[in-house]
Amino acid sequence: MSGKITIGGIGSVLLGDDAVGPYVIGRLESAYCFEERVTVADLGTPGLDLVAHLSGIDALILIDSVKNDAPPGTLTLYRKEDILRHGPAPVRMDPHSPALSESLLIAELAGEGPKDILLIGITGEQYEVGTGLSAAAERAAGGAVEQVLVELDRLGFSYSELRKNPYSAWWEPLAEALPILAGS
Amino acid sequence: MSSRITIDPITRIEGHLRIDVEVENYAVSNAWASCTMWRGIETILRGRDPRDAWMFTQRFCGVCTTVHAMASVRAVEDALKLPVPANAQYIRNLILIAHALHDHIVHFYQLSALDWVDILQIPKADPAAASRLAESLSPWTRNSTKELKAAQDKVKAVAASGQLGIFQNGYWGHPAMRLSPEVNLLAFSHYIQALEYQRKALQVVGMLGSKTPHIQNLVVGGVANAIDLDSQSALTMDKLETIRLLLAEVSEFINQVYLIDVCAVAAMYPEWFKIGAGVTNYLAVPDLPLDSNAGAYDLPGGVIMRGDIGGMQPFKTAADPVFRESVTEDVTHAYYQGEKPLRPWEGETEPQFTGWDGEKKYSWVKSPRYKGQPMQVGPLSQVLVGYAQGHALTKKYANLALGQVSAIAKVNATPALMHSTLGRHAARAIRAAMLAELADKHWQLLVDNIAKGDLTVHNQPVFPSGECEGVGTHEAPRGTLSHWIVIKNGKIANYQAVVPSTWNASPRDEQGAHGPYEASLLHTPLARPEEPLEVLRTVHSFDPCMACACHTFDPTGRQIARVKVL
Repeated sequence: MSGKITIGGIGSVLLGDDAVGPYVIGRLESAYCFEERVTVADLGTPGLDLVAHLSGIDALILIDSVKNDAPPGTLTLYRKEDILRHGPAPVRMDPHSPALSESLLIAELAGEGPKDILLIGITGEQYEVGTGLSAAAERAAGGAVEQVLVELDRLGFSYSELRKNPYSAWWEPLAEALPILAGS
Repeated sequence: MSSRITIDPITRIEGHLRIDVEVENYAVSNAWASCTMWRGIETILRGRDPRDAWMFTQRFCGVCTTVHAMASVRAVEDALKLPVPANAQYIRNLILIAHALHDHIVHFYQLSALDWVDILQIPKADPAAASRLAESLSPWTRNSTKELKAAQDKVKAVAASGQLGIFQNGYWGHPAMRLSPEVNLLAFSHYIQALEYQRKALQVVGMLGSKTPHIQNLVVGGVANAIDLDSQSALTMDKLETIRLLLAEVSEFINQVYLIDVCAVAAMYPEWFKIGAGVTNYLAVPDLPLDSNAGAYDLPGGVIMRGDIGGMQPFKTAADPVFRESVTEDVTHAYYQGEKPLRPWEGETEPQFTGWDGEKKYSWVKSPRYKGQPMQVGPLSQVLVGYAQGHALTKKYANLALGQVSAIAKVNATPALMHSTLGRHAARAIRAAMLAELADKHWQLLVDNIAKGDLTVHNQPVFPSGECEGVGTHEAPRGTLSHWIVIKNGKIANYQAVVPSTWNASPRDEQGAHGPYEASLLHTPLARPEEPLEVLRTVHSFDPCMACACHTFDPTGRQIARVKVL
């Protein structure tokens, strides 16, 4: 493939296992170096703002937590037709609620949608307010990293491994480093 | 006889905004706005380093990222009385402007235009006639017959496929849809073009903030952008020139397309200037500081009560002492424990879920009040407060928009019409045009200041022992945002965010006063109550954003929203 690819993590890092998409992105960025045609991005919870990230690319890999009937930590791969099968939400009251299929449909309408789409879904366990993944989601993150690399290989994008350091996300509690206090 | 309609987007994890209306004789007789999702993300911040707070608050919402980052650093700076270097103010201002321009374009075209534009009329349009009409309204170069024909062909292809895709759930053919096929086509053509220009605005955010959607360049006390006009790794003259050109393109789209389209659509639905006023108390805070001590601003703030423009009370600063003393949050009808309204610094977030009960508690949103009164926030408040102060830039674009509506509708459109559903749309376009002009000004301020030899971007924060409190505000795309922080010995002791959609979507308060969404829906006529398009028009005019939270994808397509008529 001669075009460009975006690898995007979707989810809120403040809501338990919803952080798994951004967490996988953090692991990819800390452990691998990708060629220039590859963009790696923590996209957060973009709603329809996702459309802006779908332009000018030929392929897209998204990593997101999913709700399905599988046990927590299960990896499920979805392709474009799986995502578009059910169409957009019937009524959009809050215009920024989840909008993956809508964003793809809008991009296609504008003639801009990526041809190749892979969604790596990780079944979450808990979505309570708070930082930190469940053990199941964290284990699945390693598998998701592998799936990203498999897809890059399939599409002919190159990368190299940097190091095997343990990765710690910025939103996890860190060792205390207190700010400068006056008079101290 | 009355019937009850519930419009409830049900997501897999939690819902977001739910609207219940009672309908009598084809008009709304009562309304409830509720949020079906627990917010309480602020609790994550307790005990953390105040210098990191903005990175977390930026994740409150995936769409309003930068605004929560900015309000957070401003709250800590307010608590520390820490000045922010002029370069940092200008860079922050440019980011805020670019984000707002992106947001307003997306709101009008992608999120609300199809409440007024009937896609299924487009195949009937005559592209040449649409082009002539467009050229009579605007010098925009992309309104040619060829361009419009291409847009029409897209709709025809979608219609012919039998799969309406993105359009499958619109209220097409609804009796409240009234644009000609040609105007529908024009608006749709701009819906497609808007995708390009909102992206250009985001590119500016990314260049200055180093990443988007989550900017990386903020620090308490300034920004982390290195300024060196000769070094490729820093903010160079080349990059600044690219930013200027991108902003100029976005500005052209706003002036020649967005503002014109809003006026044209408004002129064809003039009755919507009389619907949807609701709460006519308006609140906006000053923004776009012009110096390091934030002593002067390019955008004015103030308060208007009961629609009395002449009695407007201005704010001198973005964290005005009157503002600080006047904001409380009431939980009478929200799923939280608590008796009396509290100031945000003393705010508590102890959930007490009791199920939806319109007489008692029915929302996860608290009721923020200003001197005990519900307030409308957003572009309409921003524009009315500016207009009331005789703010030149506000008057320039407000008069331009009202003149345009008057000319197309052949009526005399006065500022009094702004208290309405269409007034909110018009005000958003007016605000966007103002911001586009200010983008150019703040770009020049930055370049001139650098040219003087000032490369300072950051002042070091020093935290006092003991306790201090601060408030950081930002007049965001959806209105007044305020972050309230209590710092104890260098750590966060309490944190509350009072967000624009909380003001607008708030439930009733202890006095029983409706929040702005609720009040704006009362008396709205409904042509077909089972297809409550009119309710959506008014709710969407506020640009609701319920602190977007879980975005977990549901591949089984279990339905995500419903309209229920009882």
